[in-house]
Amino acid sequence: MSKQLIISLGREFGSGGHVVAKLLAEHYQIPLYDHNLLKDIASEHHVDAEDLKKYDEHPRNLLLSRTVNGFSNSPEENVAHMQFDFLRKLSAKGESFVIVGRCAETILKDNPNMISIFVLGDMEQKIARTMECNNISREAAIKMIEHHNKTRKHYHNHYCETKWGDSRNYELSINSSRIGIRETANIVAQYIDTRRNISEPDNMLRG
Amino acid sequence: MLAKILALSIFIIMFALIISEKFERHFITLGCGLATIVLVFGVSMRSMSAFLETLNVRNIFTVGFWYETASSSESSSGINWATILFLAGMMIMVEGMALAGFFRWLCMTIAKAVHYKVIPIFLTFMVMSFVLAMFIDSITVILFLAAVTVELAQLLKFNPIPMILSEIFCANLGGSATMCGDPPNIIIGTSLGYTFTDFVTNTGLMAILSLVVVVVFFYFCYRKQLSHPAEHADELAAKLSPKSAITNKRAFIISCIIFVCAISMLITHAKTGLTVAFIGVFIALVTLLTAGKSIGTILKRVDYKTLLFFIGLFVVVGGLEQTGILELIAMFIGKISGGNMYLMIAIIIWISAIASAFVDNIPFAATMIPVIKTLSATTGADLSVLAWTLAIGTDIGGSATPIGASANVVGTSIAAREGHPISWKKYCMASVPATIIVILISMVCIYLRYL
Repeated sequence: MSKQLIISLGREFGSGGHVVAKLLAEHYQIPLYDHNLLKDIASEHHVDAEDLKKYDEHPRNLLLSRTVNGFSNSPEENVAHMQFDFLRKLSAKGESFVIVGRCAETILKDNPNMISIFVLGDMEQKIARTMECNNISREAAIKMIEHHNKTRKHYHNHYCETKWGDSRNYELSINSSRIGIRETANIVAQYIDTRRNISEPDNMLRG
Repeated sequence: MLAKILALSIFIIMFALIISEKFERHFITLGCGLATIVLVFGVSMRSMSAFLETLNVRNIFTVGFWYETASSSESSSGINWATILFLAGMMIMVEGMALAGFFRWLCMTIAKAVHYKVIPIFLTFMVMSFVLAMFIDSITVILFLAAVTVELAQLLKFNPIPMILSEIFCANLGGSATMCGDPPNIIIGTSLGYTFTDFVTNTGLMAILSLVVVVVFFYFCYRKQLSHPAEHADELAAKLSPKSAITNKRAFIISCIIFVCAISMLITHAKTGLTVAFIGVFIALVTLLTAGKSIGTILKRVDYKTLLFFIGLFVVVGGLEQTGILELIAMFIGKISGGNMYLMIAIIIWISAIASAFVDNIPFAATMIPVIKTLSATTGADLSVLAWTLAIGTDIGGSATPIGASANVVGTSIAAREGHPISWKKYCMASVPATIIVILISMVCIYLRYL
């Protein structure tokens, strides 16, 4: 890919956002980063990725953490900052990739080649998908969705000034329940192509 | 009564806001300090004298503030300017030393001296952490020690977590040994008129005895995790040459001389009559005058936020003191213990330790000083014994949890940033038993020596 492309994809649990991210990565033939980001970070620091994984995309515990002169004892906060730094490094190196979650739309907002997407879904569809994917009951699926969305929201809102899922924070917010996951990916890809095309100075003048 | 309620409410709100970390802590204490002045001293008490006593500015312009002929204490009420000036002076000195590469040089020199062998590094770094923290704030000590430990761990392929946890514990322990080692000790010393020697011969002895036990304890806790043979020591020597740590030879020599001067002045200040406020200002001026072009960098790096935090804190605690709330707490402790000194010491040391394990030990110590003063006056208990008990309790208690002391937060954060996150469980596994051991040793020492 000649021009850098970074797709930041936020998602509600059960919306199929992760699958959309995967389809986009395949379509543009660029790497997909989610929790596997920690593997690269761990190998850079010569540590076991499993030690970092349990703190991934979790908000810090308010009562059990303290900050002194910018240093925090919270493992969650430190792992988050390691990921943010890693993303900034990749972005500065001019690499193209799809990144799922991890406040990327805020962390990389200064890069004009970053396109931010948020995938949401209707509750009923999210429940059905979660039940199917995890082979669990309806009650368990509701609990799972609520738990994960709450965690993601707290995590995001702790590090970003803007609110998680707020459409003003993303270039495109799309409901995957209405047109299906694959079609959602297609629409997003169309948007990305148009946006990249329009970003070219000549095309902007023409438009 | 209204003043009491307001002062207590402001104090509780201040603590809650500090814990919440919604705002920077110096804004919190300054804001609460302002609320104390307006609501407690102004609206409720309408007392100009309480306000002036808390600001305590007049004290700076007395000879006794800079030079004392007999052992006199700074008024414990209100802003403890001696503590502020001393801390500012030490901060400036430490920044000068750090800029010259002193701490990194020291770590590298010790690692080289023990031929980059993991267990000897582990043992010597614990002792170094203790000794440095006796004179320098533990945050700085851990900032450098932990960074070098992580670097050594990557080269020597060992897990840095046990070493960092032991260094943190020993830094807090070292801080308890002297008057200038830990902020609660500076506040206790300046408020109650104790000298550097008083601390060394009392809390210092307890700390040294505890250090011996703690080093053995950590060795047995972590020896399996650290028993990794160091390889390629020659290659390492080239990578970690102590000389390469020195950024400016002239500045390095000067900072070493200033450091030795500061220690000498502190050790002899009871004899020379120079107060810690004088020593702080003197050391700061010498550092700045000899800093040359680095003067701007040093001044920029000083942690003004902590100094402002202290000023606000002293005003809020001054509000509690002026309204008589702390007397009530003192009378309560006196009543529970029934004047029994053994019980009184046990209550102070354990409450201080447990509280300091979860909340900042500086506000706690500042609050407790007027309490032990009243306790001594009302029950006839020896004030110095209560002071040593309070100092050990607050200094050591903070070691138990990752949030108990600033050094713990800095150390665990440095480890985590390098890919070694430290959970509460991992932290407390060895640190809680070590804290209990040290508190027990200190309590027995106090019982045997003073009662």
